[in-house]
Amino acid sequence: MVRRIVHARVGSHPSAEDLVQETLTRVLAASATIEPGMLEPYAIVTARNVVASMWRDADRRRRNQHRVVDLSTPDLPDSQVVLDEEQSAMATALARLGERERRTLLEHEVSGTDTHTLAARAGSTAGAVAAQLNRTRARLRVEYVLAAEQAELPTDQCRAVLIALSGGDQRRQREVRAAQHLLECELCARLSEPLLERGQQRDDRLRIPVTADPDIVSARRAARELASRLDFAATDLTVIATAVSEVCRNIVRFAGTGEVVVELLEVPRRGIQVVARDGGPGIPDIDRALDDGFSTYGGLGLGLPGVRRLMDEFAIASEPGHGTTVTMTKWERTHDG
Amino acid sequence: MNGGPALVSIMRQGSTLIASVHTALDDSELVRFEHDLIHQIGEHRSRGVIIDVAALDVIDSFAALTLRRIAEMARLRGALTVLVGIQPEVAFTMVRLGMGTGQVPTALDLEEGLALLAAHPGAGTDSTERDARPGSTP
Amino acid sequence: MDERPEEHPQTRALHESHWADHGGGEHLLSQLVAHLREHRTRLQEEWSQRIQQAHLLTAMTPQEMAAETTSVYDNYVEVLETGNVEALQHYARDLSERIIPRGVETHEVVGIVLLLRDVLARSLFEKYQRDFSRLNEVLDAYEPAANRIANTVAVSFVDERERIIRQQQDAIRELSTPVLPVRERLLILPIIGVLDSERARQLTEQLLSGIRKHRAKVVVIDITGSPDVDEAVANHLVQTVDASRLMGASVIITGLSPKIAQTLVTIGVDLSKMNTIGDLQGGLEEAERLLGYTVTRKEGSTSS
Ligand SMILES: [Zn+2]
Repeated sequence: MVRRIVHARVGSHPSAEDLVQETLTRVLAASATIEPGMLEPYAIVTARNVVASMWRDADRRRRNQHRVVDLSTPDLPDSQVVLDEEQSAMATALARLGERERRTLLEHEVSGTDTHTLAARAGSTAGAVAAQLNRTRARLRVEYVLAAEQAELPTDQCRAVLIALSGGDQRRQREVRAAQHLLECELCARLSEPLLERGQQRDDRLRIPVTADPDIVSARRAARELASRLDFAATDLTVIATAVSEVCRNIVRFAGTGEVVVELLEVPRRGIQVVARDGGPGIPDIDRALDDGFSTYGGLGLGLPGVRRLMDEFAIASEPGHGTTVTMTKWERTHDG
Repeated sequence: MNGGPALVSIMRQGSTLIASVHTALDDSELVRFEHDLIHQIGEHRSRGVIIDVAALDVIDSFAALTLRRIAEMARLRGALTVLVGIQPEVAFTMVRLGMGTGQVPTALDLEEGLALLAAHPGAGTDSTERDARPGSTP
Repeated sequence: MDERPEEHPQTRALHESHWADHGGGEHLLSQLVAHLREHRTRLQEEWSQRIQQAHLLTAMTPQEMAAETTSVYDNYVEVLETGNVEALQHYARDLSERIIPRGVETHEVVGIVLLLRDVLARSLFEKYQRDFSRLNEVLDAYEPAANRIANTVAVSFVDERERIIRQQQDAIRELSTPVLPVRERLLILPIIGVLDSERARQLTEQLLSGIRKHRAKVVVIDITGSPDVDEAVANHLVQTVDASRLMGASVIITGLSPKIAQTLVTIGVDLSKMNTIGDLQGGLEEAERLLGYTVTRKEGSTSS
């Protein structure tokens, strides 16, 4: 029973981010009255209180209604257990940060020490300190979710992937092949959801899971809708939708499951980028797959070569046994041809 | 297509079947449509088939192949298929993608499609005379 | 310096370049600005005269010029005072939008701002000429800022001008509908001049929507007026023919030069599958035949 509820709870936070932020805000408000050496213990206690008060909060039911149906009529003993687990999760998360990381974060958030001062003290730059703080926050969110879930990470890579996702650091995400990992690691796929809630709120970016035929139609529809916010000609909207349709079909046919991420670009020019990735068997011979005379289904030489002709940029990466990623872009037309 | 709002309607007019696609179809729906239509062609011994795809905002490789296959199966059953209503953007995208309609004749809309069938009293015989079939893709 | 709040980078650069190394810079600045405000009427008048002598802004009426010089002057002083270049940029864009259609050139706009710079510099010179070190301080402070303002105005003017030119080009493209409905169900698309990919794309889009709009059954694409095309455009031409067919229209190509024919063959087009006819007249006759009209002229079109 407790496990089931805890499981529901992780997904049901407004977001882990909110929780961390709220904790720090409260600590900050009280910092004037706290003795210097007591700051960290106080932060941990506050974190617990924040979690506890969330549960007493009059509007919590409204906030969580659509997610945790089984808690809408709380039976008290179980709720109390959940409460304790929440509190200790935050404490554990804070404790799992490195000594210096934690101190810097608390000094910045709680004492209000600015990044310049922190940098001067550490012999670093303000920018570097700010970046480090962002990484610490990202890490704290991950540790919180892990502690709340009491999760055992199955691979060495998991933590790095989750932290990269939590921090929204796209370069780091590519380095640790985060997207690929999420397709292969069920646990990380699940844990990453509360961490990605912030990313999902971006309205110039869409992530569409693709597993079955109807997803092909929804994905191309969504891509067309997003693209129509830019100044694309009607033909280009159809071209984009059609290209998305083709790459999604490859996912459904050859990999069974994958996702499409559609994103509007501002640099180097306005355009739309589509990334389709799967964890399927991969394409052994990419050159052959891009040859107009070759196709693995239908035998008519369609699919990828046609998609490449439709889009302005087209790149494909595939690793046998690990899946395929197609990245393609259509630029908004320049006016001078 | 059984149950739910009709995605496709198939009407009979004399020896001609008129199939109108009403909304975007996913792959399995396309395949169901293919089976339904072929079945009805056989049942009614139709001589001509018009498929109206004006409502399709995307005709990708699978849709194009399916439409071609329908036309080929219809031909084997003695019926000539005309595709009508391909939108300008869709037409251009299909060509860029490398998809034509093969030997399947096309017409602007339903009216033109019916006129084209009417000009072929032997609709369904293997006519390859190009000039008399405006819109056919060699 | 240290307590200066964070500002727009450009703003900061403006300040750093002239006030930073001078003690009492803020004081100097307010003195300078007060001076320019105090003598606004005289200085602005002097500036206007210099503009007329230099034959700048001749496309504007005296009233327009008076209004614009007043605004530019006030903005100029305001930027000196606040260091807010954004406001000036905004104003420059706004100004450009209004005066570009009247034929004002870039050198004129740059010219009037440089004249203003010099008029104001001269007045500072007059004011401080008895205190030489003070004069040096003031000019050291003023000149880099003034140059930066001139630069800002010039850049935003050029940007705006380019934008407006692009807009006009687009409008011209839209206006020239190349698809001619010659008779019921028959369209002609005359292609004249050099085709680049962008123009080829626009022609295709116009042709395809023209086919639907005019319910065309036959299209004659006449490329007599286009001496040569590159492979990309040749490809595009073939795609246009195929797409027209998908919409139910037959395409006849006329006026194909040997050079273009060669290009088409090079990219692998089977010319025997294209309906190509020597000249437009022959093409129209063939079109009428396809449409089922009786051709009353003598039979003689050379169908290739
Ligand atoms: Zn993992």
